[in-house]
Amino acid sequence: MAVFDTPEEAFGVLRPVCVQLTKTQTVENVERLQAQLRAVSDSALQELQQYVLFPLRFTLKTPAPKRERLVQSVVECLTFVLSSTCVKEQELLRELFSELSACLYSPGSQKPAAVSEELKLAVIRGLSTLMHSAYGDIILAFYEPSILPRLGFAVSLLLDLAEREKSKQIKIAALKCLQVLLFQCDCQDHPRSLDELEQKQLGDLFACFLPGISMALTRVITGDFKQGHGIVTSSLKIFYETVSFIMADEQLERIPQVQPKPAVEHRVAELVVHREAKWVKNTSDKLTLLIKKIIECVSVHPHWKVRLALIELVEALLLKCSQSLVGSAGPLLKALVGLVNDESPEVQAQCNRVLRRFADQKVVVGNRAFADILSENLHSLATSLPRLMNSQDDQGKFSTLSELLGYLKLLGPKVNFVLNSAAHLQRLSKALVQVLELDVTDIKIVEARRWHSDQLSASPETAAGQPWSQMQKRYFRFFTDERLFLLLQQVCRLLGFYGDLYLLVDHFMELYHESVVYRKQAAMILNELVAGAAGLEVENLHEKHIKTSPDELREIVTSILEEYTSQENWHLITCIESEEAGEELTVKQSGLRAITSGAHTCQVPSFPAFSKPSATICSMNGNIWQICIQLEGIGRFACALGKDFRLLLMSALYPVLEKAGDQTLLISQAATSAMMDICRACGYDSLRHLINQNSDYLVNGISLNLRHLSLHPHTPKVLEVMLWNSDASLLPLVADVVQDVLTTLDQFYDKRATSFVSVLHALLAALAQWFPDTGDLGQLQEQSAGEEGSHLSQRPATPEKGLENTTTAEDIEQFLLSYLREKDVADGNVSDFDNEEEEQSDPPKGGERDTGPDVEPPLPVQVQIAADVMERCIHLLSDKHLKIRLKVLDVLDLCVVVLQSHKNQLLPLAHRAWPPLVHRLTNDDPLAVLRAFKVLQTLGGKCGDFLRSRFCKDVLPKLAGSLVTQAPVSARAGPVYSHTLAFKLQLAVLQGLGPLCERLDLGEGDLNRVADACLIYLSAKQPVKLQEAARRVFLHLMKVDPDSTWFLLNELYCPEQFTPPHPSLHPVQLRGTTGQGNPYAANVLRLLQELQ
Amino acid sequence: MAASPLPPPDPRFVLRGTQSAVHALHFFGGAKGQGQPLLLSGSLSGLVHIWSLQTRRAVATLDGHRGQCVTWLHSLPQGHQLLSQGRDLKLCLWDLAEGRNAVVDSMRLESMGFCRSTVLARGQRHWMLAMPGRGSDEVQILEMPSKTSVCTLKPEADAKPGMPMCLELWQAESSPRPLLLAGYEDGSVALWDVSERKVCSRVACHTEPVMGFDFDSQKARGVSGSAEKALAVWSLDEQQALQVCKTHELTNPGIADVKIRPDRKILATAGWDHRVRVFHWRTMKPLAVLSFHSATVHCVAFAANGLLAAGSGDQRISIWSLYPISSDSSTPLSGHVEDTEDGQELLMHRAEARTSRKK
Repeated sequence: MAVFDTPEEAFGVLRPVCVQLTKTQTVENVERLQAQLRAVSDSALQELQQYVLFPLRFTLKTPAPKRERLVQSVVECLTFVLSSTCVKEQELLRELFSELSACLYSPGSQKPAAVSEELKLAVIRGLSTLMHSAYGDIILAFYEPSILPRLGFAVSLLLDLAEREKSKQIKIAALKCLQVLLFQCDCQDHPRSLDELEQKQLGDLFACFLPGISMALTRVITGDFKQGHGIVTSSLKIFYETVSFIMADEQLERIPQVQPKPAVEHRVAELVVHREAKWVKNTSDKLTLLIKKIIECVSVHPHWKVRLALIELVEALLLKCSQSLVGSAGPLLKALVGLVNDESPEVQAQCNRVLRRFADQKVVVGNRAFADILSENLHSLATSLPRLMNSQDDQGKFSTLSELLGYLKLLGPKVNFVLNSAAHLQRLSKALVQVLELDVTDIKIVEARRWHSDQLSASPETAAGQPWSQMQKRYFRFFTDERLFLLLQQVCRLLGFYGDLYLLVDHFMELYHESVVYRKQAAMILNELVAGAAGLEVENLHEKHIKTSPDELREIVTSILEEYTSQENWHLITCIESEEAGEELTVKQSGLRAITSGAHTCQVPSFPAFSKPSATICSMNGNIWQICIQLEGIGRFACALGKDFRLLLMSALYPVLEKAGDQTLLISQAATSAMMDICRACGYDSLRHLINQNSDYLVNGISLNLRHLSLHPHTPKVLEVMLWNSDASLLPLVADVVQDVLTTLDQFYDKRATSFVSVLHALLAALAQWFPDTGDLGQLQEQSAGEEGSHLSQRPATPEKGLENTTTAEDIEQFLLSYLREKDVADGNVSDFDNEEEEQSDPPKGGERDTGPDVEPPLPVQVQIAADVMERCIHLLSDKHLKIRLKVLDVLDLCVVVLQSHKNQLLPLAHRAWPPLVHRLTNDDPLAVLRAFKVLQTLGGKCGDFLRSRFCKDVLPKLAGSLVTQAPVSARAGPVYSHTLAFKLQLAVLQGLGPLCERLDLGEGDLNRVADACLIYLSAKQPVKLQEAARRVFLHLMKVDPDSTWFLLNELYCPEQFTPPHPSLHPVQLRGTTGQGNPYAANVLRLLQELQ
Repeated sequence: MAASPLPPPDPRFVLRGTQSAVHALHFFGGAKGQGQPLLLSGSLSGLVHIWSLQTRRAVATLDGHRGQCVTWLHSLPQGHQLLSQGRDLKLCLWDLAEGRNAVVDSMRLESMGFCRSTVLARGQRHWMLAMPGRGSDEVQILEMPSKTSVCTLKPEADAKPGMPMCLELWQAESSPRPLLLAGYEDGSVALWDVSERKVCSRVACHTEPVMGFDFDSQKARGVSGSAEKALAVWSLDEQQALQVCKTHELTNPGIADVKIRPDRKILATAGWDHRVRVFHWRTMKPLAVLSFHSATVHCVAFAANGLLAAGSGDQRISIWSLYPISSDSSTPLSGHVEDTEDGQELLMHRAEARTSRKK
């Protein structure tokens, strides 16, 4: 708040203090003056400027030795005055400038006087304020050659302070002041921009300071990292501002060759520099050295702001001095590209911005010299790359690769200059291949197994987000840092994007062929090249660059695909005894369903590491990776081509599906994710959709490969996967290929039955699912309930089973009707009855019958297939391998399900299948016995009458007999007995009998025979498991005939006395003893409880 | 690999989906610079399928014969027009340009026979059509598209050649007079001069009906197959007289169709024994027995680019790429051909599947 507004008032106040100060020069007087000055308004002070300055300047000029404290307060006061006023006179400016600079002058020395830091700071501030307070015209006039000595002194003074002072504050202030002196101040007070002439004048003037400034600043910049980033940043700024001003191409162009005569005295004239070509050359050479030094030091500076300033430096110098500093372009560009992948996002962004700006303005591409320099750099980098990749640590590799990436980005389409040189392409590729070498020692890769064969239902949505994120992590031999891989990926993509794709693909294809050592890396690179060529995740800096055309890309992809999926590159050894292990897996998968006991333990087909040399493991691991990489490549090609890839599906889908069925976990995962990529790229909603829509291509591959099964042993697998994932609409196609399968099976009966049987299983399972017999649903449910266990609560209340309380007149009528019908059947009217039934269940066929009554309507395709398959099963039922027999029994079961409504087909086949089936029931492994029982059960449901008599005649006596004879053995046996085959057989028979009796609706005599055979096993002496199984048999028997079962059990053990309801009746005495020693007591009691 | 014998050749691919036996095949388009040709197939169920050889899928289905077998397909040289002959006694003219598929014209056939028709282009929009006529042994010649009857070729009363089984109209380069070759039920082949309506020459080639023949007008040589166990090669001399050059014995009887490749290097036969046989046309040396089908092969066809298609009763169409037509004219066929007996799949020199990448 100014108190004195008018000069008069102010003068009145200031006069005494000024006089006082002139008389006695003390700190107190100066402070008094300053205190008074505060109360004077700026305008008034401006009027009195000269007057007030006089005592102060007088004080400074007094020759007597002065105390520092006084000088400091004088300077501060002076600064205050200057900060509120303007310097309007040229002379005053010059004098004040000299007087202030002189405060730090020490006679006889180049260095600033050894004065207190406060004084130094005050002087620096004073100088800065002075320059700010000068009017624009005046300040320009100030910079004329005659001022050179004084200006030079001030500049060197400031540089010295900036370099040597300890105080950070002083350093910063000195640098700030230097900026002001050199016209680089960025504050608001210098709005005026200089015109050309003025620029030239100043340039000429400053040119003589260039060596001093640049060297001193370089020393500051390359000094200790600890000095703080602010100092380094502003030094960098001054450095590039100064250099780019003095060496600006724009100015240098207009410098005449002959130096005009300077209008100053001789001594001063010597100082003036004429910036002609020779000088420029010399200076540029020297600057190049300094710039290199700076870059070397700053590009690894820990503070990001410093690196950011370096980018500004590069930008300023390359944009303004591209000709004068052409020698530095190399290091400058290198510094720039080296920061492309800086850890700080700000630096990265700025770097990319500058790169983009360069590209936009064609700084590099439009400039021959720069392009040459870049190519040169890339050349030399390519040359040293293999060595660097070998010797550097991860961090070193990272920066080297960042540099490479930066060059590629900057060069853009011009990268071909380098690639066209065979030697350099060779080196570049060698380095990439070398660094991408995978570590293939991990044994888990080889061991990991897929467990479920039909797990392909995932949809692409489930793996949302990054398409390739779910890729298994890779381990590389020469680096561990994940970022390095991403960097390499980017490098390859950029190469693919800008480079000549044909050339590159050819080159890496050659490497791929050259040796197994390179194959994986070459494939990885090829994948990325194609992805890059399609512009996937590539940042394009060069707008005009034309991408590879889709047609060309498709052509290239086609040829790579062909190579990937060729026999020798696709069918590699990935595990030992693949066929065996695979079969075991599938057996277990379905086996678990039927086995309730722990008799069958799952064994992981673990890899016998000791039996094979580890080299094999490595090579298998390598092969697995190879396939995975190729699969990943197929996915990537799909992404690159988009919908165009649909055309390639005819050759690509089959091999991928083949691998999806592979038992090595990693491979099947990779194949699945490749299929996901394909789905996404080609616009299919799910894998099922993909397979369904393209099954004609698959069928084509399958049927052709089946012709050479020895060459394509995995063909059945593909069909299997296809069947799991398709629906009824494919039936015609499936029917077509099934004929091929059956023909081939007939040819390779002995050798490859395993894989075919699993295909047949898949086929029949699919058919059963596609064409469910709607009339039979209830039965199926019942069947499954029966399998579940023995809960009588679920017992269906059928009238035949004779539960009195639910019997109604209708039931009786129903019973009689069905009795009559059965009687009819028994008299031999079977066929008529069946035909009628069939016709009713098959309404669509009825219409056709009218047109041609003599011609039998053609069988539905699925029935024909099932009949054909069942035909084969009959033969395979007695195969010598248990696994095959088990599987065949499953297939047979499904055949029966599919054929159930076509008795004319089913019965003859069942008749023929009977003898081998009996053999399975009576004379085979327990597992097979169980499975055979299951088939019998299904068969019993579909053609019960047919089966009942045969069963009772052929099977039951043998089974019952063996149960009876074995009972004493098992009753006496110890705990080891449960591991014997005999035990397992007993168990299997007991488990199978119950449900079957119920299903077949056996007659009383046969039921009794079953009951008799099983009664012995209710004894507590029998092994627990057998008791359990026997109890279950009786639970089933109860369902069929509860009364007789009750009676039978009570005959064995009678828990209670029956008191007659009326004394006139005889007391009932059952044979079962009630004694404590009865071994059947526990089981009979439990069963009778169930029966209540 | 070099030591073990090469596996028997496989089809390049197989087209499925006609859902009934294939009785006629015809390649459509695919001349130089037009990209991939289309394949047309006519089936027992009366449908004509148009197959894209690029996607290997049917792109369209033409239904114009009311469920009766399609026996002959032929595209007209100008425009996208297709002729189809069916057992419903109709000859349909289809317009296929720009994705259309409509019958623009149809004609009634007078004969119930199996004989396929034939056309000969005459000028920009005119063509001549020969088809079995009203009388069982007649051939009717029509001027198209005006449908004006030119003449009816009826054999002399004492000849009794039976029904015509297959026809081919052609025209020698030297003379403007159209000629008609006809194979008859009695196994003879006759050459008719259409303008004079008389038989120039007739020769008995087979003892069974001629099922199919093809004629190489450059070499003036033809080959015919019949229900018997032999192929007959016959030639035409300057006096327009037919004579049998030689017969080639086969192991199994029955040739349903014979076609010479457009470059006149090889020929293929469709066999009732489910096999396609390939012969060297000049020497009649057997080159390959292609066994893939599981039912009678009814028809074969060659594309301009050398692809071979075979259609069979097993409802499949197999596409084979054999001895690709090389751009240089030197024949790649001599040398590596071994003698073969039927059933023994001949080891073929298969063209390198790997197409060299374009630089």
